[in-house]
Amino acid sequence: MTKETAYAVEVDRLTKRYGDLPAVDDISFTVSKGEVFAFLGPNGAGKTTTVEIIETIRPPTSGKVNLLGMDVTKKKHDIVHRIGVLPQGFSSFDRITVRETLQYYARLFSVKTDIDGLIELVNLGDKTKEQYKNLSGGLKQRLGIAIALVNDPEVVFLDEPTTGLDPRARHEIWEVLLGLKKKGKTVFLTTHYMEEAELLADTVAIISKGKVIAMGTPGELIESNANYLALTLKPVDEKVFEIVRKMGFGPVLDNHKNIKVRVEHTYDVQKILNAIKDAGALYLGLDVRKPNLEEVFLKLTGEALREDPDEMEAE
Amino acid sequence: MNLRIISANLVVKLMGFYREKTTMFFTFAFPIILILVFGTIFMSQDSMEYRLCVQDLDRTNASAQSIKTLGLNGKFKITSIDPAINAAQYVRDNRVNLVLVIPKGYESSLMQRMMLKDFNASVTITYIYDPSSSSVITKMQILNSVLAGINQGMSGKPPFIRSVEKSILTKKYRFIEFFVPGIIAMSVMTLSLFGTVDSDTELRQKGVIRKLSTTPITRTDWILSNILYHFILAVISTIAMLLVSYAVFDVSLHIDAWLLAFILLDVFAFVGTGMILTRFVKEAQSAAAAANAISYPMMFLSGSFFPIELMPGFLQKIARTLPLYYVNEGLRASMVFEDNMAALRSSAIIGVYAAVVFILGIMATKWEEGK
Repeated sequence: MTKETAYAVEVDRLTKRYGDLPAVDDISFTVSKGEVFAFLGPNGAGKTTTVEIIETIRPPTSGKVNLLGMDVTKKKHDIVHRIGVLPQGFSSFDRITVRETLQYYARLFSVKTDIDGLIELVNLGDKTKEQYKNLSGGLKQRLGIAIALVNDPEVVFLDEPTTGLDPRARHEIWEVLLGLKKKGKTVFLTTHYMEEAELLADTVAIISKGKVIAMGTPGELIESNANYLALTLKPVDEKVFEIVRKMGFGPVLDNHKNIKVRVEHTYDVQKILNAIKDAGALYLGLDVRKPNLEEVFLKLTGEALREDPDEMEAE
Repeated sequence: MNLRIISANLVVKLMGFYREKTTMFFTFAFPIILILVFGTIFMSQDSMEYRLCVQDLDRTNASAQSIKTLGLNGKFKITSIDPAINAAQYVRDNRVNLVLVIPKGYESSLMQRMMLKDFNASVTITYIYDPSSSSVITKMQILNSVLAGINQGMSGKPPFIRSVEKSILTKKYRFIEFFVPGIIAMSVMTLSLFGTVDSDTELRQKGVIRKLSTTPITRTDWILSNILYHFILAVISTIAMLLVSYAVFDVSLHIDAWLLAFILLDVFAFVGTGMILTRFVKEAQSAAAAANAISYPMMFLSGSFFPIELMPGFLQKIARTLPLYYVNEGLRASMVFEDNMAALRSSAIIGVYAAVVFILGIMATKWEEGK
C-alpha cells in the first residue's frame, strides 16, 4: 500500500555489493518533494548504482528504498508510471525521429502527452523530423530529458545529463533543468560537475567510495567545510612566492605558476598585498573568491571530482 | 501483456527496418538471389547435355553409325576429333575431360560378330579422360549404360530383367521445387536469429533496454513484439521468394496453412535461440560471429541446399538433431509432397524445440540489471 509521505525518496541503510566489492555501502538519505537533489561524486563513487536502485533498474543487496512511499523492490509497476528517467549514457532508436520517439514513449505509458509542449521545453522545435542518429550529443540529451517527462512524472531522475557535452551544450541543458525547477518537479540529479550542483540543487549529497560523506545546501556545505577565501596571484617576479611563504600562509604554485593562497579573512588579503608592495615586488593580476563545492570535495575526500585534466581545461 | 505497448514497439521496429535500406535489401534480396542462382544452375542440369569428343580411328560406315547412335540418346552432343592427333594430348590442350576412341578394325570385328556369328569377336572402346574433372565419372557411367544397351540390342534377345520407374509423387517435380522450401526455411531462420541477436545486443549495449526498463513495457511485451516483427518480415520475405519462383521458374508448389505454421515455428525457434545467445554475448560484433557459428553449419547440414542423403551417415545423424532439418522436412512435406501426416510429424518436433528454446530464451532475457 502507498503511504503518504513528505519525501519523494527515502533511502535507509542501502548497500549494493558486486561480489565482495561494495559499490554502495550502508547509505541513508531523504529527498523532499519539490526539491532538486544533487548526488555529487567522481566516477565510480556509487552515484549511478544508487540512482538505478531507486529507479527500480537494479535490486539492492540490503537496505530499504521507498519512492513516493512505495518499496522499490515490490512496486515497480506502480513506480514506473510516476517517475521519469534519463539514464546514464542515454540512447534511443537510431532511425526514429524526435517526434516519433516521443510519441513512442507516450504510447508505452498509455498517456496523452503534449508532445509539442515537450519539444518546446527542450528547445528541439527545428529538429522534430530529424532521426535520432543524426542528432548531436547535446540534442540527444535534450530529447532524453523530454522522454523522461512524457508521463508528467512526479520525480525526475537525471543521471549525469551533461557528461561529455561541450560547455555550450551543457549550459543549454542547464536552461532546461532550471525550467523543470520552476515547474516544481522533484529532480534527482547525479553529476560530477560541481557548478551544475551549485547552480541547480537545493540539496547536495557528496558521495565517495560508496558512502555519503556530506549533505546539505551548497551554501551550508561550503560554510561548514571550506570557510576561507581563495586568493590567486599572477606574479611578475619570484620574490612574491617567498614573501607570502614567509608570512606563514602556505602558498602553492599551480601549473601556470600562479600562486594560490587560502586565507581566513579579507584583511589577510590586504596584509599580503601590502607586504608585496612594501617589498617592491610586482604582480600582474589577482583573484579573490569564496571556495566552491570542488574545494569542499577536495577537503572532504582528498581527491578531485574529475580525473580528466583536459575536461577541466576545456571549461 | 499490453497490446497498445506491443503495437507501439512493433511500429517502431518496422519503421526502423524500413529506413535501414541496406538491411532491408539483404534481408529480402539475399534469399531471392540464392533462388535465382541455384535455380538457374539446377534447372539447366535437369535437361543437361554433355559434350562428348569422339575419335574414330576406323572411319567406316559401322563406326559412323555407332557414333550417331550415341548422339541419338540425347545425353551427348558429339564432337568429332581428327584421328591423326594424340587424344591424350587433345584432352590436356583443349580442357575437355573425355575422349572416346573407336579403334581401327571396329567394322570388321562387328561383321565377324554379326554375320559370321563369331561370339569371340569384340572391340575395345577406350575412354581417355581427365580424372580431376568432377563430371567425368557421371559421363562415363552414362556412356557405359548406353554401350550396354547397344550390346543388349546386338544379342537379338529380349532382356530378362526390365525396370519401370514409378514416382511416389503425383506430379513430376523439378529440383527447384525442392529447393524453394529449403531456402524459405533458411532465410526465416537467419532473419529471426540475426535480427534478434543483432538488435537486442545493440540496444542493450547502447542502454536503450535500460531506459525501457524504467517504463511500463514488460519483458513479455518486448519479446512478443519481437516475435510479431520477425513473423511479419518472414511472411513478406516468403511472399517475395514465392513470387520470384513462380515468375522465373514457374514452380508448382502447394501452399496452405502449413506454410504459415512452419514460418511461425521457425520464427519462435530461432528468436528463442537468439534470445539465449544474447544473454551470453555482450557486444554486437561477437553477437554476429556467434549467430554465424550457429546458422552456417545449420543451413549446410540440415538439407536446405541439397538432400542430406548425399552426406556421410554420421552427418545425416547430426542433421536429424537440427531444428532447421524439421522445418525443411515439414515445408517440403506440405509444399511438395502434400503429405499432411509428415508435415504434422515435423511440426510436432520443431514445435517442441521452439517451445523449449523460447521458454529458455525468456528466462535468459535480462530486463532489469543484476537479475
